[in-house]
Amino acid sequence: MAADASAPTLATRLRRPSAVGALGGLFVLALLAWLAVNAERTPADFLEVFLIGITTGCVYALVALGYTLVYGILELINFAHGDVFMLGGMFSITYATHFFGLHTGQGVLIIPIVFATLLLAMISCGLINAAIEFVAYRPLRGKPRLAPLITAIGMSFVIQDVGLIWKGPNYITAPDVFPRSKVFSIGGVDYTWNKLIVVVITIPVLLGLLYLVQRTRQGKAMRATAQDMDASAMMGINVNRTISFTFLIAGGLAGAAGLLYSLYVTTVRYDQGFQLGLIAFTAAVLGGVGNLPGAVLGAILIGLIQAFNEGLNWHAPGSDWTQSIVFSILILILVFRPEGLLGERTPEGG
Amino acid sequence: MTDQLGTHVGTQGEAPAEEIGVRNRLRSRWRAMPIAMRAGVSIGLLLVLAVLLFLLDHSLGYAVATVGALYWIHRLPQIPKAVAQAIVVLLFAFTVPSLALALAIAFGVFWIPNPWRARVLPAVAILLVILYPFYQDKMFIVPVFGVWPDIATGVYMLVFVMMAVGLNIVVGYAGLLDLGYVAFYATGAYTAAWFASLQFPHQNWHFGAVGITGDLPGIHVSIFLLIVLAGMFTALFGIVIGLPTLRLRGDYLAIVTLGFGEILPQVARNSDNLFGTGFNLTNGPNGITPLDSPGFGNHISNLTNGFLPANYLQCCNRTLLGHQIQSTDVFFWTAIVLLLFTVFCSFRLQFSRLGRAWIAIREDETAAAAMGVPLMRTKTWAYASGAFFGGIAGAYYAAFKSATFPGDFFFNISVFILCMVILGGMGNIWGVIVGGAFLAYLNQEGLANTGSWINTNIHVGNHHPNLDVPLYASGIYGLIILVVMLFRPEGMIPSKRVAAELHHGVHDEPLYDAQHAGAEA
Amino acid sequence: MSEPTAVEDNVLVAEDIRKEFGGLVAVNNVSFAVPRGKVVSLIGPNGAGKTTFFNMLTGVYKPTAGRIMFLGTDVTGKPPHAITALGIGRTFQNIRLFQNMSAQENVMVGMHARMKANLFNSILRTPGVRKEEQQARERANELLDYSGLGRKGGETARNLPYGDQRRLEVARALATEPQLLLLDEPTAGMNPQESAEFTAFLYKLRDEQALTVLMIEHDMRVVMGVSDRVSVLDYGEKIAEGEPKDVQKNERVIEAYLGKAAVEDMKRQGLS
Repeated sequence: MAADASAPTLATRLRRPSAVGALGGLFVLALLAWLAVNAERTPADFLEVFLIGITTGCVYALVALGYTLVYGILELINFAHGDVFMLGGMFSITYATHFFGLHTGQGVLIIPIVFATLLLAMISCGLINAAIEFVAYRPLRGKPRLAPLITAIGMSFVIQDVGLIWKGPNYITAPDVFPRSKVFSIGGVDYTWNKLIVVVITIPVLLGLLYLVQRTRQGKAMRATAQDMDASAMMGINVNRTISFTFLIAGGLAGAAGLLYSLYVTTVRYDQGFQLGLIAFTAAVLGGVGNLPGAVLGAILIGLIQAFNEGLNWHAPGSDWTQSIVFSILILILVFRPEGLLGERTPEGG
Repeated sequence: MTDQLGTHVGTQGEAPAEEIGVRNRLRSRWRAMPIAMRAGVSIGLLLVLAVLLFLLDHSLGYAVATVGALYWIHRLPQIPKAVAQAIVVLLFAFTVPSLALALAIAFGVFWIPNPWRARVLPAVAILLVILYPFYQDKMFIVPVFGVWPDIATGVYMLVFVMMAVGLNIVVGYAGLLDLGYVAFYATGAYTAAWFASLQFPHQNWHFGAVGITGDLPGIHVSIFLLIVLAGMFTALFGIVIGLPTLRLRGDYLAIVTLGFGEILPQVARNSDNLFGTGFNLTNGPNGITPLDSPGFGNHISNLTNGFLPANYLQCCNRTLLGHQIQSTDVFFWTAIVLLLFTVFCSFRLQFSRLGRAWIAIREDETAAAAMGVPLMRTKTWAYASGAFFGGIAGAYYAAFKSATFPGDFFFNISVFILCMVILGGMGNIWGVIVGGAFLAYLNQEGLANTGSWINTNIHVGNHHPNLDVPLYASGIYGLIILVVMLFRPEGMIPSKRVAAELHHGVHDEPLYDAQHAGAEA
Repeated sequence: MSEPTAVEDNVLVAEDIRKEFGGLVAVNNVSFAVPRGKVVSLIGPNGAGKTTFFNMLTGVYKPTAGRIMFLGTDVTGKPPHAITALGIGRTFQNIRLFQNMSAQENVMVGMHARMKANLFNSILRTPGVRKEEQQARERANELLDYSGLGRKGGETARNLPYGDQRRLEVARALATEPQLLLLDEPTAGMNPQESAEFTAFLYKLRDEQALTVLMIEHDMRVVMGVSDRVSVLDYGEKIAEGEPKDVQKNERVIEAYLGKAAVEDMKRQGLS
């Protein structure tokens, strides 16, 4: 019947003023007040931390989009996604240093190297992600919802072990090639090149994705499959291929994120992907799972929250509590506003 | 499949729909061969395998050859079963007596006709487990896995099986995927640790604790009482976190429970200086240690003539059946009692009004609600029962280790317990017990033993792999989950119903979705 | 819109209920009453909002506006299990049995609200619990017998033939001890023979159980045969109500089902 595919109108949303809403509003106000006090007391730190937050947010956005794409089409939380991201970091370091001989002090030469690595990392992760879908999720389509979800957890652990076997239990390091010289400075705070590079790489990737989903045939097939898999199949869309393609794209995004992360943070370890993946998933949920702009918004917010928490001086809980804070956000959003900030909880109904 | 030799060949051939695919075609061709040929081929293959394995490790080669021979002696129609089994037992009686005895018991039980066997089997199993400390050191060496697990590992296994049985109520019965079961384990452990240690030195409150002087600072409550309290407290905790979250759809619930499972250990790690007030709640990363010893106190001990020990840690100056009883043994037996209690409750719940409601919810929430099953309340009960046993297990294990550390409560543990349930068979208590015991053993001793076997026996010239197998534990569990879910989602010992659900699917659109989306007008 | 008269002994009264999904109005201010002891049919073309209406009566959906009274209690927006406990039993359009449970267990789930065993006494298996279980089992067998499934209690619901699954759904709904039974297209997908058997079963229910029945049905033979009253929904609005015979002749109803042309056609035929 035609009762789906329509988000609640603004009127119906405003019609129910609730205690929860009021509390949430108060909480947000308190948060803003806290930020204001911090900005007032240490403006330089505040700005610095803000810029860090945006940068991490960009990396999260790339990972979060992968979760959102896959969830949108299969309603599956692909736990292994974070670990594919981790592999992306390992691929990037390997390609860059072993294939292209990346090291510090190469000057402008790093630009083609980074781009070639980006491309290779995206392709590698995309293929791996599509392979994961083919091996682990496709056979379980049509089974109870929990079956592929459990499999995804198993897959995540398996991929962590792949990283562990490949690179060992310790951190592997990437050459610190992104320059830290300033691009410009505001309020006595330098905006450095390494942060700018992250943003500069992220934005075209995001725009490319948007173009792909909105404008291309394959993108239309993706959206159609997300709406209704059976109907799409009847309309002649090759559902299997579309899903594989979605995983390919999601993996590619994870690969890009892996590259940025490994070169920006310069260390990668086999178990980092899972944690970061969960944070990125929180970002996707915060923005509204299945909603692409939502994932980016959520990621930037989470990046900022993490940076503020870890970087501010006045009454910030500190990095010990980052995980707890992020997961509390996740739980609160899921319990009280499962459709996320930008609405539309799942692609097929509001 | 091969146990359908001879007699069943004809009847099995009439399922043409099943005969598609290479595997099935090979299977039917195999069945069509005469038995002598099949025996010849199997024995030949077996011999080759045995010889190859023999080159790797003598005992493994012997073992495989023996199992193969055993199987065929058992199958040959000319030899009566009883005679074949007697031969096997006698064969081992001189070489590996413990194995001979084990086989004799196993054969014996399976000679009992069925209405009786169903009762005798569990009884024998329980008895054998209880007696384990008496024969553990006399058992044969298993190829690859090495010696039988020691008693401390036994305690670990029992505790984890208990948790698996508890998680099975949530996942197997009610179909709620809980990825944060470790939170309950942690809650139980910390409850025991708070009230039976020096953690709160400004308090001084004693109640039934054993083995300490009355003026020792801190709260000291009898461990047995604490186990019960921990169970109840954890169940309460389960209800508190369940109430807002259990109305969520399955995958969201999974992620929320995962969130709790991640938050709680972090809280434990960071709460040595709560909110900067200087209040030390959990002693941070150093954990709380030592805990008081469990025990019944001198009074009860004397009343029972020393049968119930006064203090587990100072137990016991007695020898029974030629075995000097250790304090670990007493922990082991207590764990058995707790596990039996868990299993008993679990069985009773499965076949009750509540158990039926759980299954109904698992199969079709909307229909269940329409039949008068209150979804929230019923799910919350499942959650609370699961939490209860998790709490008990956590408290008891903390008492056994005499410590609790935040590092024990990683997400890996949640997945580890989930893996037990899945490997054993969701919804089937026997399966979960077997799966849980096996995986817990692997985690504690099995992986290390297997690793050292691999490192000594598999080598190219003098180049040994030097694998650190336990390092890869998580991935191995992941692989087990993956393989089981893909090839036998109902687990080793399946519950018939769960198997059907996994193969035919269920109506699992949650009511929550139905209420918010409204698919059909 | 004919208002139900208040003096009449109505089991269920729905007042101006409305349901919107996003911007779409699925049920538009429908008022509706079910008199005690009668069989009322709700008909209408596909997508008219009948099942949505049912889902509001049973608490699966919360109405956007309006009030539902059942036996004098306001049940608007109550959860499904509470409404079932008050005495509304239902079946589903696309059979929703517990596929992997036996027929007997299915019926026993239906008794959930009428049983008292809780977690603790179930573990202890007190004599009370044991007795209750025993009685529930016997009662389930009776209901299965009554529904013509006497020998099939042990069968897994999935393996029952289609007609039996429909019967089992009714048996399960009866197990909730309803005063009002809601049947959602009970004969959908049945062949004429099964359909006739089911109609006979409906008569038996109405006459022997003193039940009030509200059903959605497409098969006009069934509707005209068993209903005391018929209400017609179209595009979420009630367009007609009354005795089957009258409704059959109602212009708006014919229009809704067959289109405007048909009405004109009939008029012309009637005139000429």
